[in-house]
Amino acid sequence: MKRDKKITQLAKKLVELSKDNGVVTEAKVSEVLAGLKQAKHRHHLTVLKSFLGYLRREVALQTAVVATPGALSAAALKEIEANYTKIYGRPISAVTTQDTSLIAGVRVRVGDDVYDASVAGRLQRLAENVH
Amino acid sequence: MKALFITLLIALSLPLGLIAAEDAHDAAAHAGEALAHAEDAAHAEGNKLTMITEKFGVTWPTLIAQMINFVLVAIVLYKFAVKPIAATLDERQQKIADGLQYAEEMKAQLAAATRERDEKIKEAAADAQRILTESREQSKEMIEKKTQEAAAQAEAIIRKATEATEQERKKMLSDVRQEVARLVVATSSKVLSRDLSDAEKSTFSESAAKELANN
Repeated sequence: MKRDKKITQLAKKLVELSKDNGVVTEAKVSEVLAGLKQAKHRHHLTVLKSFLGYLRREVALQTAVVATPGALSAAALKEIEANYTKIYGRPISAVTTQDTSLIAGVRVRVGDDVYDASVAGRLQRLAENVH
Repeated sequence: MKALFITLLIALSLPLGLIAAEDAHDAAAHAGEALAHAEDAAHAEGNKLTMITEKFGVTWPTLIAQMINFVLVAIVLYKFAVKPIAATLDERQQKIADGLQYAEEMKAQLAAATRERDEKIKEAAADAQRILTESREQSKEMIEKKTQEAAAQAEAIIRKATEATEQERKKMLSDVRQEVARLVVATSSKVLSRDLSDAEKSTFSESAAKELANN
């Protein structure tokens, strides 16, 4: 238990070291991995797994996954990035995924938060509101 | 009673005394005849009393002997006959008196018992009537109470049944609405997916993105 706590703290610290101006960058992550390789930690595999988990979570927190059935303009993505950067107070980058089940519109997910402006979502909410 | 017996004894003993006196008179008659002739000759002018006593044959020894005899017989009779008989009669008299008194007492007790029995019967009848009245009142109250309880239970059952029916109706209505909504949504989704062109979808997506960006 004590070892897990130490590994968790180390992984969180490595994630902080992977940030550049509050944003996780590939270069910083590479540096951290190189340093970890040099350090030859006794439980390096466990540390790496924990680091990967926290890193994914951190990346998800600074990424806005924009799901849409078709293509979306770059300007719209920029606007989304600017809006959520402003809302969360940290740099948010938008990535798009295709989801034809939405019929039309977009659904944005930032971490655990979901913002739905799709036709399917609205129909679903309409159905849920009918009692 | 004693006096009666004593009188009776005297009356019975008087003939005996007369018979004894007659016997003594007969015995002395023969001797007296000779003596009388002598005395008549000697005392022509005798005393009238003496003449009478002599005429009836009453002499002092015979009279005394008869008196003593009479007294002895009276004492014996009194001792062995009158006294026990008197005691027996007194005892019977006492028994009869006791019996009469007992009968009177019994009669009084019977009357008292009859009166008491009548009073008890009257009280029992009154008690029975009172108990019957109370029982009727209690039965009436119980019937009314049970009737009210049954009515209340019936109302409660009806109310619960109504509520259950209403809830069931609402649930069915809600299920129907949800099912209709689900069907409408599914149909709308299919229709929109099929009928919306790519350009329309793109336009709607751009509009939605702007909407989210402006929130």
